[in-house]
Amino acid sequence: MLPLARRLEALLFISPRPLSTGVLAQALDRREEEIESALAALRIEYRPGEHGIELRRVAGGHTFAVADDCAADVRGFTGAERPDELSPALLETLAVVAYLEPVTRAEIAEVRGVSSEYALGALEERGLVEQQGRADAPGTPVLYGTSERFLRLFGLASREDLPPLEGFALRADEVDEIRSRLHATAERRAR
Amino acid sequence: MRADVTATAAPPVTTRLDLDVFDGPFDLLVTLILRDEIDIWEVRVSRIIAEYVLKLADSGEFDLDATSQFVVLVAALLEMKSRLLLEEEAEEELEDLDPDEAARQLVERLVRYSQFRNAADALGEAWQAHSGRLYRSVPVPTELLRRRLPEASLRAVTLAEALAPLLRDPPAPDTSHLADLAVTLVEELRRLRVLLDDAGEFTFAAVAPQDRLERAVTFFALLELHSSGEALLHQTRHFGDIVVSRVAAPAAVMG
Repeated sequence: MLPLARRLEALLFISPRPLSTGVLAQALDRREEEIESALAALRIEYRPGEHGIELRRVAGGHTFAVADDCAADVRGFTGAERPDELSPALLETLAVVAYLEPVTRAEIAEVRGVSSEYALGALEERGLVEQQGRADAPGTPVLYGTSERFLRLFGLASREDLPPLEGFALRADEVDEIRSRLHATAERRAR
Repeated sequence: MRADVTATAAPPVTTRLDLDVFDGPFDLLVTLILRDEIDIWEVRVSRIIAEYVLKLADSGEFDLDATSQFVVLVAALLEMKSRLLLEEEAEEELEDLDPDEAARQLVERLVRYSQFRNAADALGEAWQAHSGRLYRSVPVPTELLRRRLPEASLRAVTLAEALAPLLRDPPAPDTSHLADLAVTLVEELRRLRVLLDDAGEFTFAAVAPQDRLERAVTFFALLELHSSGEALLHQTRHFGDIVVSRVAAPAAVMG
């Protein structure tokens, strides 16, 4: 293995959290391009299926993760449990925060059509959403955004990694469907 | 679709109360519209509540999460129904309310909401795939952390000096702005009784002190005299002066 790749491996082994290319470059006094190519070599070394651990890009950096097929063994050994499931209401609120952040409570309620106080609290408690200052608006409402833990638990390298929101738009025929059903309901009521 | 729902609509809703299925009015609305199963007019909310309470009593368990979601759902239903009621009246009252425009806006909001609903589903899949992953997460052993302070500069006395200010008693808070009451109720009662005995009658304005709080004490004293039957209070108009006069045959004297 390249000497630089081995040095990177050592830093990633000891670091408790993902290390960005910039941090690695600074720590080893190398240019970022050099780090990138050494990381590529390291990634080949640790490609899935090769070791009990894999090299992953997550939450803005690089880190080792337990290979999926070894996760059960680690869980049994350490007693670590999977995080609790997220209810649809929590996932929906999280989606609004993730795509609109920084976002206020009122904006979330506007999109969902329902107060999201409870959901936001639960997401904060789970460390998926955090307060990110206050908006420069009347009442200076709290602004919410997603956390680094959010990126890790959803396997995202960065917020730009989220699939574009436009991809989730309803198809034209689905929109027509909603429209015509609404009209039908209105007419039925008018009668 | 509509005719037979009166009797049957409520139970399906109740049994379907997985409570995660419905999240908010929009969600509810989309579901109701797309399924075209229930006419919201026909859903008897009181019945849903009654059945839920029965269910709750039967199960003997109180799940706070599920119950709060239920309350949210019921509130959403009620809000939708009440809005529909208002809408009908509004249509008659407000000529300039364009139903087409209102419908267009509603569709727009539903479409926007659905986008996030779908994104939430995708997030749910990502969660299933990734949330169980185990990352390197142990803390760095402290002996490996870079030491920033040269050890030579840290002597025991430095620590003592740092702690000393914390152990000192803080100065007593300044309470000079809190005025002491110059009179007590008992003293004021005594003073007013003397005045009553001497003069037989006086006005509140004539005997009340300048200080607001002391005036209040005087007023309480007057009320006390009145309730004990020692004095009569008479006021000719609101906020006017109060005339205090002695009762001819004094009752038992207090204080």
